[in-house]
Amino acid sequence: MAQKKVDVLIIGSGHTGGMAAKILTGKGISCTMLDAGPMLNFEKYREMKPVNELPFRGFDAPGRLPHVFQANEFNANQWVDEKVVPYYHPPEAPYNWVRVRSVGGRSPFWARQSFRLSDYEFKCKDHDGFGENWPISLEEIAPFYSRVEEIFRVTGHKDGLPQYPDGNFVEDNSPWSGAMQRFVNAGQKLGVPVTKPRSSLGKDGLASSLNLLIPDAVATGKLTTIPNAIVRQITVDKNTGLADGAIFIDRHSHREMVIKARVIVLAAGCLESTRLLLLSDMCNSSGALGHYLSDQIYGAGIICSVPEARDGKAAPHLMGGGALIPRFRNIKTKAADFIRGYAVNVSCSNGPFEARALPFYGKELEQKLQSYNGSGFATNIMGEALGHYENHVTLNKQVVDAWGIPTLNIYTKYTSNETNMAKDYVDTMAAMAEAAGFDILVKNYEFNPPGYSIHEQGTARMSDDPKEGVVNKWNQSHDTKNLFVVDASVFVSAGWQNPTITMCTLSMRACEYLAEEMRKGNV
Amino acid sequence: MRRRDFVKGLAVTTATASTALGQKAAPQAQNPPPAPNATDQGTMAVQPSAASSPKAMSRVEQMARFHTPNIPLSQPDMVALTEARYFTPARYATLVQLCDIMMPPGEDHPSAMKAGTPEFLDFYIGASPVEQQTMYNNGLDRLDADCMKQFNVPFAKADAKQADSVIRPYLKGWMNDHPPRDGHTRFINLVHHDIRTATINSPAWAIAAEASGDRSPGVGLYWTPIEPGIQTWVKEGSVEATPTPRHKHS
Repeated sequence: MAQKKVDVLIIGSGHTGGMAAKILTGKGISCTMLDAGPMLNFEKYREMKPVNELPFRGFDAPGRLPHVFQANEFNANQWVDEKVVPYYHPPEAPYNWVRVRSVGGRSPFWARQSFRLSDYEFKCKDHDGFGENWPISLEEIAPFYSRVEEIFRVTGHKDGLPQYPDGNFVEDNSPWSGAMQRFVNAGQKLGVPVTKPRSSLGKDGLASSLNLLIPDAVATGKLTTIPNAIVRQITVDKNTGLADGAIFIDRHSHREMVIKARVIVLAAGCLESTRLLLLSDMCNSSGALGHYLSDQIYGAGIICSVPEARDGKAAPHLMGGGALIPRFRNIKTKAADFIRGYAVNVSCSNGPFEARALPFYGKELEQKLQSYNGSGFATNIMGEALGHYENHVTLNKQVVDAWGIPTLNIYTKYTSNETNMAKDYVDTMAAMAEAAGFDILVKNYEFNPPGYSIHEQGTARMSDDPKEGVVNKWNQSHDTKNLFVVDASVFVSAGWQNPTITMCTLSMRACEYLAEEMRKGNV
Repeated sequence: MRRRDFVKGLAVTTATASTALGQKAAPQAQNPPPAPNATDQGTMAVQPSAASSPKAMSRVEQMARFHTPNIPLSQPDMVALTEARYFTPARYATLVQLCDIMMPPGEDHPSAMKAGTPEFLDFYIGASPVEQQTMYNNGLDRLDADCMKQFNVPFAKADAKQADSVIRPYLKGWMNDHPPRDGHTRFINLVHHDIRTATINSPAWAIAAEASGDRSPGVGLYWTPIEPGIQTWVKEGSVEATPTPRHKHS
């Protein structure tokens, strides 16, 4: 078949690539979308199975996915094996790079918490002097947020808090359980807002690009999707300096192929997009490419038991439900030893109690588990990690992946800002739990390594100033005008929020801009 | 496209199978000349479209309609024991005693011993990274040494009270992903967690759970390797990872 020049080449098919395909094809623009992994066949590749029939009794193969704490024997095959696509971090500065390679990217597997960023994030430098402001504001992108929330069917309650902007919600007016109400009351006394969680309902059990975004693009007849296409380089026309296509490798056969395109939309996922730009030696006149990597701290928390729920004595509606505490530090007052803030996931369980939280064994433990059954109450942190310039990635040409492509070195570590934030969080949650009358069994100040949250952001940040950022406020490369980066690599700061809804919003906005520029002949 | 490939694959399989069966049923003293219009295995391999003759296609379509027969399968643990061979006899004896103490039988569930947990952990730790092995080896040695020091008996021979006095001080409550950091405390809490997990996820536990009315013990959504798993392709692929050097073409 003859090679043809495609209108827009989308690299990556996760939430942001899927959104790009939906928007651009909806405007009548033909798109070709590449993904490095296979198409998922949910009927063929998944089945309900008892754990005792798995080879390793649920532990998974020893040493298989040392950096993926989320992995277990049920889901191990969905994650990228780091022996196939390796990466390096210094031994003293671990980084958990959690990756999926299949059509739809990580979108079939996300936790679905759905938040808007506020101007405390977009204008963060104005607020506390650290880092840079984003070149956009909440007001500018709010209409796009609303459209994304409608697609994802975000459920939530409108709370009217400036740091927790309300959205276009499927309204959640459910009442609190008794234990949750006690925690809400305890928060009010300490000035800590406890609100309803916000999450994407999606449809048919998924809120992924596979079911919410890509089908619309397919319906236009203008989308070509190619799985198992591992892009190793974006090519540039020497005469114009513009991107003119890509070189990709077939995953199975290792056959190398060349594709030509008028426009490139890069949506390979934060660090993979940056890796590809580094491999292509482009878009780095600012020197910012690869720098300002950030994410969120997860893992610290408390585990409690609600005494009135023990021994099967819970009154109706005492237990159950969840809550979200949005950032409340450094809004009106200033914390002593950290900037920015954290949010908290709260869960109140009427199910089995976690054995590891109880320091007993044998029959004594079984008795305790029986007694504590249905009395669990726990919190988990989502705290903003600061995107320092020193948190960066570089190409490692000495170590290549299974397709001969140079890999990444990842240099990042948390600082006292994150440690102090976690301490404030645990102490505050413990004070609230105590005031609510809960027994605190575990207080854990330790958080997981960078990367664990699977919310990596930055390394190709946006800025109005071409000397400070890789892309402009339309996600368009300052150096290569027909290249748009639409994933979280463009984020200027991490915030505490799950980034997915913001990623989709920016991708939608960038692609509508791109379509208009293409119509005008500017791109 | 994919379905066509699948059908072609079936055609190859069918031809291979029938050829093999034919040879078994009627061994020949010497190779007979191929019958006219016959599609032998070699032809099928190089020219799968040979299967498109009406007869061959009919056979392929018949094969495609075949459904997997329902043959009840069993776990190997039902009929065999895991051979323990990683830990030294002394360490293994300590592990067995630890399993016995930490997870005794309950009213409606089996003990760690009955679930084959010591044997499973011997296999699993023996296959694990060296850090994990070191933690187990040091931890088991320390338990034994503590017991000898306090009661002058090895841990494997300790009574429940003696064992308790060398275990209990190290038990802590902890959150997922964050076991205690201190060496021996970490071991005690992790080995406890491992013993519980290996026991609760065992075939013996599942049988007991089902007998007590739980119809889906420990059932989860399992992902199989996809097409057929990235690692398999790389390991078995004949093409080198390093691209062939590029030559200039006219």
